[in-house]
Amino acid sequence: MDSVLRALAMYLALMVLFKIAGRRSLAELTTFDFVLLMIIGEATQQALLGDDFSLTNSFLVIITLIAIDVGFSLLKQRSGWVSRLIDGEPTIIVENGKLLHRRLRHARLVEADVMEAARSSQGIETLEQIKFAIIERNGKISVIPQDPHSG
Amino acid sequence: MKDEGDSTDLHSRQFPIREDMAYQLKVWRFERVGWYLLVLCMLLGLLGLFSRGVISSQDARSDDGKVRVEYEMFHRNGSTNPMKISVRATPESTVELEIDGELLDGFSIETMQPMPQRMRSSGQGMRLRLQADAQGQATVYLTLRGDGLGLFRSHLNAAGSNDVKLTQFIFP
Repeated sequence: MDSVLRALAMYLALMVLFKIAGRRSLAELTTFDFVLLMIIGEATQQALLGDDFSLTNSFLVIITLIAIDVGFSLLKQRSGWVSRLIDGEPTIIVENGKLLHRRLRHARLVEADVMEAARSSQGIETLEQIKFAIIERNGKISVIPQDPHSG
Repeated sequence: MKDEGDSTDLHSRQFPIREDMAYQLKVWRFERVGWYLLVLCMLLGLLGLFSRGVISSQDARSDDGKVRVEYEMFHRNGSTNPMKISVRATPESTVELEIDGELLDGFSIETMQPMPQRMRSSGQGMRLRLQADAQGQATVYLTLRGDGLGLFRSHLNAAGSNDVKLTQFIFP
């Protein structure tokens, strides 16, 4: 019984924690983020398994985690409200070459982050060349360049 | 940094995506408040709310001062913490220490040093016969491992002394 409860509690706790951390926290994985992720994994693993290293226990934990995960994806499919709650929504941060400063501040981003995404995905050099930059639900910044013909 | 467009920054856009800024602002507020809560948890952890710290480490004495217990009020399931029990008695005599209540339900005693002369069950708990030294002091060190969950109340007393009441909480 406790294995299922452990997995359930850990799943929900991690979900809330990563919601607090925001969608961008682990989206662009730097070397340090990767190390951090591994440490979080280590700390989680101990609590998930406790002192029971049997096959049954690990199966039970894995089954519970996958069952919750599939359950949530089914829920998200049925209800837009749940989907919005769990996955969030995309947000525009650059509109027609202008930064939306207040949004950037709330999203804990700076101009350099936007330009980095613009360079790496579209080869864009200046802010004016960006038509839209959007923080996607997974935390990545997607960039739509200005139409070259429209001047 | 600010320009006149700032005031409309937080209005919802319809193109290229349909936005609901009111909801997004709530999400951002949740992130901010959540961060405060995380820092609060960290501080409480440093202070010892989750075992081992100023809040958790307790030093209890019986009213007549005969029995003294140093223990952790907060434990975590599966982790071990020390408990030190000192009893004042007539020098070079033996003294009976009774540990009663829910202590043995919530904890398993991993080590007990020095071993008492005799141990027997008594009520819900147990009774230890300790040998006092030349100064009339008998001390026993326990290592407790939290096995249960929740609140456990127990009380200790040496022959003829007042009770020392302990309240301990085991986190999951």
